Amino acid sequence: METSELLRKVRKIEIKTKALSRQIFSGQYHSAFKGRGMAFSEVREYQYGDDIRFIDWNVTARFHKPYVKVFEEERELTVMLLIDVSASGLFGSAAQKRETICEIAAILAFSAAQNNDKVGAVFFSSEVEKYIPPQKGRTHLLRIIREMLDFEPVHAGTDISAALRFLRNVQKRKSTAFLLSDFMDSHYEEAVKIACKAHELIAIHVFDPLEKTLPDWGLLRIRDNESGKSFMIDSSASGNRKAFEEYRKDEDRRRNAIMAKYGITHVSLCTGEDYVKPLINMFSKL
Amino acid sequence: MENLVFAYPFVLWGLLLLPLAGWWLFARDKKTRPELHYADSGFVPVLKKSLRQRLYPLLHVCRLLALALMIVALARPQAKSKSSSKNIEGVDIVMAMDISGSMLAEDFSPNRLEASKQLAEDFIRARENDRIAIVAFSGEAYTQCPLTIDHGILENRIKQLKSGLIPDGTALGDGLAVSINRIRQSKAKSKVIILLTDGVNNAGSIDPLTASDLAKTYGIRVYTIGVGTKGLAPYPYRTPFGIQYQNVKVEIDENLLSGIAQETGGTYFRATSKNKLKEIFDEIDKLEKTEIEVLSYEHRSEEYKPFLLAALLLLLIELAGRLFIFKTMP
Repeated sequence: METSELLRKVRKIEIKTKALSRQIFSGQYHSAFKGRGMAFSEVREYQYGDDIRFIDWNVTARFHKPYVKVFEEERELTVMLLIDVSASGLFGSAAQKRETICEIAAILAFSAAQNNDKVGAVFFSSEVEKYIPPQKGRTHLLRIIREMLDFEPVHAGTDISAALRFLRNVQKRKSTAFLLSDFMDSHYEEAVKIACKAHELIAIHVFDPLEKTLPDWGLLRIRDNESGKSFMIDSSASGNRKAFEEYRKDEDRRRNAIMAKYGITHVSLCTGEDYVKPLINMFSKL
Repeated sequence: MENLVFAYPFVLWGLLLLPLAGWWLFARDKKTRPELHYADSGFVPVLKKSLRQRLYPLLHVCRLLALALMIVALARPQAKSKSSSKNIEGVDIVMAMDISGSMLAEDFSPNRLEASKQLAEDFIRARENDRIAIVAFSGEAYTQCPLTIDHGILENRIKQLKSGLIPDGTALGDGLAVSINRIRQSKAKSKVIILLTDGVNNAGSIDPLTASDLAKTYGIRVYTIGVGTKGLAPYPYRTPFGIQYQNVKVEIDENLLSGIAQETGGTYFRATSKNKLKEIFDEIDKLEKTEIEVLSYEHRSEEYKPFLLAALLLLLIELAGRLFIFKTMP
């Protein structure tokens, strides 16, 4: 990618996602992580409107006046973006999955930056391709975005476990980790189980409509981006289309089961569709 | 089509390229065709191979067959037919047969006429490439069959000859004249009359010598054959008590016959028995053996059309299959 083009794109994403994160997300995001990592700072006299839950009864009893505890948010939160750059992301009908993942990651990064969080990124395919340690600041943010747009992965496959293991190794402190992937991987349950104990894991699944249903397109020659193998399938046979849908539903069921089992917040986003609303919904659930 | 030959048979070596073409079609097909770059392929084992998908390689087979047919067409297949035109210029022969009553004499078995007919048939059969006419004469002379190459008809006509068709007598001159009339306009290199008789000229309006002059003028050779044993011959005649035999003296005007033969450049033969007559026919056969340049035309018609049409059809089928039945994406 040309530098000027890249910069233009970075700028575009910055504007688009920054606006989104400022207008819609920041509040949601902020509240989402409030209450975690808060440290007690002082007590002060109760004022009308204070939450009665925060009344410090010991102090109140001592002074015969209601006092409330004041907490200070511990804003040294770290947000890790685990970004899937495997070749399967290079597919999409309206927009490529990789692009969608990049945009969402950018929004999350800006949202985090507005909350004064540190943002780091791990690019992974079948191996960890690149690691950007968490830091603060706009330049750092823009660097992450630039890397996301410009990144050329060496490997094609997907190994979520490798990424999660790597996260545990480099990030000893608890962080909020967004796992952005199309989840075209089968053996990641064990790694998820371990990772969700150490980190606040949020799974964002990106898919394409053409991955859910097989269109009636006659004989279809397809090439698996990850393995590079070629196949011919008959997409016009109704049995095949049904079997395909069944296979996808089964995949979804298995993924959802894993997420539910370990209590991981997750959301499925479709390329080419508005991903803001599902994200807001997800954050409000946190 | 059974006589299929190739004008350029070496082109058929091109068929050896077919396996290569097949390999190219089947193996390169995957590489040259566009593919949909898809995210994964885990679902492929779940899908069934439909009949259509299984039959898809038939398109390649169609194309290969078309290619093979085109190579065959390129080798110029030709249908060979030898019989289509046979332009052979042979000898024109008129057989002038005496069918007078005296031919019924039984010095030959079964009688002179039958023996002559039988040997004449053999003679005709042997001379495949000659045009032959038959003239029958006794008291008068008639053409039994004009000059023809159709030997089947000739043999039939000879079989039909029998004594008594024509008023009795021996009109040698008339017989010769009619024969000359039949053959004079012929454009053959060699014109021959075989005059077979057993008597003396005693009827007719043309003198045999005049007729032989005519023959000489037209360049016709006359072979004369006198039929009959020397001395007496048993001759049947009908009586109220059945057929009786009477020995009759054989009279043949040998001077006249040899004269005619000499004048026209032929030969006079005397047949005293059936075997002798056979030898005579053989000899005439030998004498008239012309060195014929057999211009055997081998007619060859180009037969590439069915091959090319089949190839075209196969290509159309392949195209239609690709466009409608075996439609592929992308």
